[in-house]
Amino acid sequence: MLENFSFRTIVEYLPLFGQGLVTTVWLSVLAFAGALAIGIVLAAMNLQRGRLFRMPAKAYIDAVRATPLLAQLYFLYFGLPRLGIILPELVVGILALSLNSGAYVAEIIRAGILSIPRGQVEAGVASGMTYIQRMRLVILPQAFKVTIPPLLGQAIVLVKDSALLSLIAVAELTRAGQLLASDRFMPAEGFITIAAFYLLLYYGLKGLAALSGRWLGLAGART
Amino acid sequence: MTIAKLFIAGLALAGLTAAASAGTLDEITKRGELRVAVQTQGPPFSLVGAAGERTGSSVELAELMAKEMGVKITFLDFDWDGLIPALLSGKADLLVADMTPTLARAMKVAFTKPYMYTGSTVFTKADGKFKSTEDCKAKGTKIAVLLGATGEKEATKAFPDADIKSYKGGGPLLLDAVNNGQADCGVNDVSAVKGQSTAYPAGSFTIMPDMLSKEPLAFATRYDEQDLLTWMNLFLDQVSLDGRLQKNLDYWVNSDDWKKDH
Repeated sequence: MLENFSFRTIVEYLPLFGQGLVTTVWLSVLAFAGALAIGIVLAAMNLQRGRLFRMPAKAYIDAVRATPLLAQLYFLYFGLPRLGIILPELVVGILALSLNSGAYVAEIIRAGILSIPRGQVEAGVASGMTYIQRMRLVILPQAFKVTIPPLLGQAIVLVKDSALLSLIAVAELTRAGQLLASDRFMPAEGFITIAAFYLLLYYGLKGLAALSGRWLGLAGART
Repeated sequence: MTIAKLFIAGLALAGLTAAASAGTLDEITKRGELRVAVQTQGPPFSLVGAAGERTGSSVELAELMAKEMGVKITFLDFDWDGLIPALLSGKADLLVADMTPTLARAMKVAFTKPYMYTGSTVFTKADGKFKSTEDCKAKGTKIAVLLGATGEKEATKAFPDADIKSYKGGGPLLLDAVNNGQADCGVNDVSAVKGQSTAYPAGSFTIMPDMLSKEPLAFATRYDEQDLLTWMNLFLDQVSLDGRLQKNLDYWVNSDDWKKDH
């Protein structure tokens, strides 16, 4: 079975895989930063009492969660130009990942804030804190700790989702594997190699999760 | 009596070994089905028509093959870069597409003799600032090609200073990219470009008269299917002699006649 497996060709294509890996990493970082920004705004809107803010946020989150990311990506890349908005594929790719992940991040942050016991808020009110002070000094620092692990989980999902950008001619990691598969007709070599690289990224993010847990002194993380 | 029995047993054994070494053609006959890998890259070679029927030049030739074999046909639809793996993994008996029998591909699959000639051409948006193949050679020009297609290799050779963008999918993606301004020039098979640009308003694209290459097209099968390959070559000889091949190409490739039916 393995006698036909060509390690030589993989080595030959390593520079291409390296470039793809670098592209995947930096576009994922940018997209996740965007997702955090979008998620914080959406979560804040979603936690307001007024329907004026809550309704659009809920509608957006539902719309994103109900449609496949591929459809969203194709809409932005092939659909928007028909409406006169033409963006380079890297921009479209990062935007699509941010808009998509942002909806999931919003839900994670909302859940984190809601997980803080009501008594904390009441204690803040009793000590005469304003809404902003309560948020800044009491709620958010605690919510932040709770949301770190699920946020890193979402970051892992985003890295894997970025593989879809290969479909709009972004030269990321999956595209490198596709090139090897189609140039030399070696799908096994191409796709096993990218799987190994994605695994590396996954363990990198998991390591980061463990480290952040230790820094933040999460229960059970410190030995 | 015993001798007769032995003789019959021997005959049966011989029959069994013959069956065991049966070729692909026997298998196809027994199965009653020819399995063909295709890509839906769009007209003129392989498309899904207005009524939802799978059709096109390559598709009709494959159907003709199945008819001559006396079996039914099953099409398996793959992406371009999935065609050869599908054939090699035995999912399909043969593949029909607008595929150039390059030496690199022939290291993996067995090609029939060429049944027509085409080539890669350059096209641009009609009212854009890229008027000729020469214009596309400028540094940083964005050239849209299809991943794994011959056009990708030709473009890399012809436009060394340009930025080559490989799309995964069918030719219409390239037309879209050029039409939307996501790429300045596109490189693809001339028959495909001509066939697929009919979906746009007339005069949307400029197709350059100079060709980047002249390429044969052929069908492919596996090297362990020599019997099927021999049969396919004979089939191509026959249909080119009796005019059925020319009729197919005239309808699909050399004119827009297909447009009124599909």
